[in-house]
Amino acid sequence: MMELSLTVNGRPFAVHVDPATTLVEVLRDELGLTGTKIGCDRGACSACTVWLDGEVVASCMTFALDARGKQITTIEGLAKDEQLHPVQQAFVDHDALQCGFCTPGMVMSCAHLVERNPACTLDDVRGAVSGHLCRCGAYPNIFKATLAAAAAMRQRKSGGGT
Amino acid sequence: MSTLQWIDAKSVDEAVALLSADAHGTIAKAGGMDLLDLIKEGIVAPTRIVNLQHIDALRGVQFAQATGLRLGALTTLAEIAGNSSIRERYPALAEAAAHAATPQIRNAATIGGNLLQRPRCWYFRNELFHAARQEVGREQAQYGAIFDNSKTTMVHASTPATALLAYGASVHVAGKSGKARAIALSDFLLPPDFNRPRDTALANDEVLTHVSLPAIGANTRAAYHKQTERDSYDWPICDVAVVLTLANGKVEAAKIVAGAVAPVPRRLTASEKALVGREIDESVAAEAARAAVRGATPTEKNSYKVPILETVIRRTILAAMA
Amino acid sequence: MSTTDQRDSRTVLTGIVGDSLQPIARNIPTDEPPELPPNAELRVIGKPVNRVDAIPKVTGKARYTYDVQLPGMLYGRIVSSTVPHARIKSIDTSAAEAYPGVKAVHILDRILSIAQLRDASAEANERYPLVRYNGQPIAAVAATSMRAAKAAAKLVRIEYERLPHVTNLEAAMRDDAPVVFPGPVEQAATAGGGGAPPGLPQKGNLRGPARGGLGGGGRGDVQQGFAQADHVLSREYRTQVQTHTPMETHGLVADWRDDELTLYASTQFTLSVRDEAAQLFQLPKEKVRVISEFTGGGFGAKFGIGNYGALAIHLSRKARAPVRVVLDRREEHASVGNRPSSLQRVKLGAKSDGTVTALQVESFGTGGVAAGAGVGFCHTAMYPFPNVSTEHYDVFIDAGPSAAFRAPGQVQGIFALEQVLDEMAHELGMDPLALREKIDTNDVDDARARKVERRIGAERAGWSRRRPPAADSGPVKRGIGVAQSQWAYIVHGTMTCEVRIRGDGSVIALTSAQDIGTGTRTVMAQTVAEELGLRAEDVDTRIGDSRYPAGPASGGSRVTSSITPAARNATYLAARDLAARVAPSLGAKPDEILFQDGRVFARGRPDRGMTFVEACKKASFDEIVQRADRREDYDGYRAKLGDLHISRHGIGGVQFAEVAVDTETGVVKVERIVAVHDCGRPINPKLIESQIYGGVIQGVSYALYEERHLDPGTGLQLNANIDQYKIVGSREVPKIEVHVIEQLGRQSSTDARGVAEPANVATAAAVANAFFNATGKRIRTLPMNPANVLAALRADGGRS
Ligand SMILES: Cc1cc2nc3c(=O)[nH]c(=O)nc-3n(C[C@H](O)[C@H](O)[C@H](O)COP(=O)(O)OP(=O)(O)OC[C@H]3O[C@@H](n4cnc5c(N)ncnc54)[C@H](O)[C@@H]3O)c2cc1C
Ligand code: FES
Ligand code: FES
Repeated sequence: MMELSLTVNGRPFAVHVDPATTLVEVLRDELGLTGTKIGCDRGACSACTVWLDGEVVASCMTFALDARGKQITTIEGLAKDEQLHPVQQAFVDHDALQCGFCTPGMVMSCAHLVERNPACTLDDVRGAVSGHLCRCGAYPNIFKATLAAAAAMRQRKSGGGT
Repeated sequence: MSTLQWIDAKSVDEAVALLSADAHGTIAKAGGMDLLDLIKEGIVAPTRIVNLQHIDALRGVQFAQATGLRLGALTTLAEIAGNSSIRERYPALAEAAAHAATPQIRNAATIGGNLLQRPRCWYFRNELFHAARQEVGREQAQYGAIFDNSKTTMVHASTPATALLAYGASVHVAGKSGKARAIALSDFLLPPDFNRPRDTALANDEVLTHVSLPAIGANTRAAYHKQTERDSYDWPICDVAVVLTLANGKVEAAKIVAGAVAPVPRRLTASEKALVGREIDESVAAEAARAAVRGATPTEKNSYKVPILETVIRRTILAAMA
Repeated sequence: MSTTDQRDSRTVLTGIVGDSLQPIARNIPTDEPPELPPNAELRVIGKPVNRVDAIPKVTGKARYTYDVQLPGMLYGRIVSSTVPHARIKSIDTSAAEAYPGVKAVHILDRILSIAQLRDASAEANERYPLVRYNGQPIAAVAATSMRAAKAAAKLVRIEYERLPHVTNLEAAMRDDAPVVFPGPVEQAATAGGGGAPPGLPQKGNLRGPARGGLGGGGRGDVQQGFAQADHVLSREYRTQVQTHTPMETHGLVADWRDDELTLYASTQFTLSVRDEAAQLFQLPKEKVRVISEFTGGGFGAKFGIGNYGALAIHLSRKARAPVRVVLDRREEHASVGNRPSSLQRVKLGAKSDGTVTALQVESFGTGGVAAGAGVGFCHTAMYPFPNVSTEHYDVFIDAGPSAAFRAPGQVQGIFALEQVLDEMAHELGMDPLALREKIDTNDVDDARARKVERRIGAERAGWSRRRPPAADSGPVKRGIGVAQSQWAYIVHGTMTCEVRIRGDGSVIALTSAQDIGTGTRTVMAQTVAEELGLRAEDVDTRIGDSRYPAGPASGGSRVTSSITPAARNATYLAARDLAARVAPSLGAKPDEILFQDGRVFARGRPDRGMTFVEACKKASFDEIVQRADRREDYDGYRAKLGDLHISRHGIGGVQFAEVAVDTETGVVKVERIVAVHDCGRPINPKLIESQIYGGVIQGVSYALYEERHLDPGTGLQLNANIDQYKIVGSREVPKIEVHVIEQLGRQSSTDARGVAEPANVATAAAVANAFFNATGKRIRTLPMNPANVLAALRADGGRS
């Protein structure tokens, strides 16, 4: 067992884990952050996507120890002060979900995309979620929602009154 | 309870020392993508992990016109795909990295770990068959080898390897007492085998430090194509990398490599010969492609791969010229 | 309870909005509200209202069964067979029990979800249930952590006496094949459908023939029919085994207490979980409470408790602590359901003018160790062919049991039927749509809907630009195809909704039904809101708890058709009650009181009204509670199979597919789908569109990619993961254009019908027909992956 300190959504946590423990196991089982899901546990569905220093990773394929000293952002940390992230709001407005189980991961990837590239295209969105599986088939609305969120972000940036 | 030990190695020497102290239970870890998969599948059960991620000497991408490209072992596939020098000079490699796995995996997977990953054969990745220590499911080898497959139909899983081979890459490893050696990638990759702990020439106590690619001439054209059933992400039916050196509109030298069609990525010398000294057009490309698949020995389940490989070779040659 | 048997005859407008509406007389229960006008005149129903539970889903707050963490909860891990067919000689659990952290071990004495021997005595003396597939659950371990449970599970020693096995349909059909079951078996239906007709003959691994599905049955004399035909086609179609692969795997958290058993279930039917648990553990139903806040997909496979659930309950009882058993992906693929394969021999006879004279289908399918691998009811139900004969055989193999899967049977059946019709149209030199026009003439709502859908779809899809087969000269060939969909219009037999209006103006609606992603809360909230003049989000919907009034199964496309009429009927009664209390203060008669836009007022005097909340406060009551049932359809049903009440009318649609076939690599790309569907009155176009997207995408996935691969030597599923069990991903999603018509059937107080299943039924056939149009070759084997496509392109001609 090893002592481990992690920064999740800006807050420090100390946990005691076996080194074989994955990041998603720590998030869900130790910290009770069950918003991050496991769909395959093998890196193949991206349901477990979180941000590590702002980059998307599969938390089921990440040793918890590899997250030391990094900023971990989970779905629980995306909305700021109860204010939904534009991608979350767009997912609601465009019904970009059905059962919702793939949704936290999808949101993390799409939010990452629009923050990096507010000028993203449909192909970019398809690429950003190319590692995700949505068995319900919400894709068309995920595409629409993400493009709409990107447009909203662009407007906000260029906006400021004009 | 399983007690796994974890050590953050600070230097290559320390890592080598740790690895050589315990050849069986200790295993190196880079991105951890393949290692975790094998642990979860019950195929490996290390007692000690030597984490390489904190060794700065294994990082970095260096490019110089005269000497070529050096990729630190910890360079991620995402870094390779996004690096502007690589995109410009070694486009087939950038493409191969961009088309491997998923965005999430590419952010963590290292080029060293990628070359050292074990096969994705259905049988290999299953504890039950692994226990039998032999290949059992030849007849199921739908995605398996169509060449050199008398001993195994398993194919090496790395797709970037296909492009690296076409660029004539070498692998650099460090062993005990500072012993370093460079091995041509073509010699480094070995046919996958249930009975060996790895499918490369790396020794138990060696660390892969970097991959080097020779300098690229000005008249070089290259292309890479990974043929899959799905575009989102998928393991390949086959992938092909083509690197051509031109002189006066004619092919002066050619390197063509195909992955996922033989136990190790296959250099297609017959296709190369068919191109050298010629100006490339549809029919020349088609002829070269045809030459490559002569002598294929597919199984009943994977014979469909033969015409696909032929097509992909032809198209990739033409893409390199486009 | 508000059930009266009194009915009055009302004249209502029925038909397709925008096409034609005709008055018709219906006998409607007296206490039901007046019929709803077309959606254009409504405010909440028929509007693209946002899903009311979307926010918890996008913030990660939605709690799925897999997220349930209870104080002292243990983690269960299943021990499964590693051989395909065997007698278990011994099981040694001592090492597992001694493992640190282990609190209980349980060995199953009965296997659920698989076919059961008609004569149980044949295996009555077996110490343990026989193993009939690789991955069959045998035992489970509960421990304080998943890590410990996994380690301990590996320590369970099982000694097998191997028996010969068979894992391939054709091999299992041979006379000398190893037999999976020693005698005839039966398979009861689950609430989600499935099951097999009882009492059929069984020889070796072949059970059947079953003649006709779902109340169908053959008719006429096919021999005579073929004699009258000018053209007869005989074709063979094959479909593969598909696994459900919901993103949330099956799972159950069991909390056994002396006074009550609480189950948190990832389920499509809370009450089926309750009932099966009560039955298996001999508990009164009231002592079992089932909670299902969110379910991460099901697609037909999540009914009852399953072996994993039984194990969780046993472990909880033994350990006296809550136990969570959630399957891993491998277990999910191998052991909890799949769509059976099919081998269909189809013979179709037609006259030169397109009149079909006879249809004969002989089919085989394997659901592994489950029965009920039929090919649907389309053959008798969809077209009024005079002579039809269907004979179906289940073929048992040593593989995991099938389960209902989004339009069970019908997906396979339609793949063959709609393709053979396309083949016949080509043979006759007829436009495939013209052929449908000629034959799709049943006097039922779905046929009437398809007539309109063909017209709309042809226009949107640009059918007129369809070219002759193989018109492209390059290696990539494009084409367009069409296929029709049909599914049963189903209503759940026992459905009650409770509506509470509180004195503070808050409104609550309750049902035990769950949500698997279709929008149960939202359609219920919309219906209640419409009646009270509120917004959907003003209604607090409480679902997914077996203590609430009985709601339907999320299976058979019946949630909306069952819930909304009950919700409307209950709300209507509550609204009338409220109106009576408010009327005096508005100086009006109760039946003049209207609820609109959050206000309450007397007809013609909107200015003198008040807000809904004010009205409730003013009327000063504590709570108005009304319950109402989903009454039977006004015209009754064609069949009642338990709670599955099946209308004479169906639901359906027409789908057009555009594909690009790379004839050199065998890669097929579906570029565009135009999906025109009917679902009675569309309650929420946004959710319906989502359902149709999902159905189409799953249909494309089935058509092109998915296939379970079994190792012949061990019966193990080789691709029991997500990367090699191939499913449509983001880049394979075609452009999908959805059009939904509004059909007022006037069979209930909301006219709502389902859509989830018909959206999935026609896609593979449409893609296959487009493939023919693109290449001039037929592909009669699924999936259309490069291996199968290149083989089909090599085959000579379009004929077999
Ligand atoms: C869904 C999915 C899809 C994928 N698709 C593709 C694909 O299309 N193409 C493809 O090529 N790959 C694919 N992969 C595989 C993935 O790219 C590899 O698993 C990854 O590159 C391994 O790199 P790593 O750094 O994580 O290796 P690790 O898991 O850390 O290491 C792998 C092995 O190499 C050893 N090792 C690593 N680095 C060193 C070193 N420097 N010195 C000595 N030993 C070392 C480790 O001991 C270990 O045995 C896919 C994976 C997933 C999950
Ligand atoms: S759960 Fe991590 S990728 Fe599927
Ligand atoms: S919404 Fe159900 S898996 Fe995506």
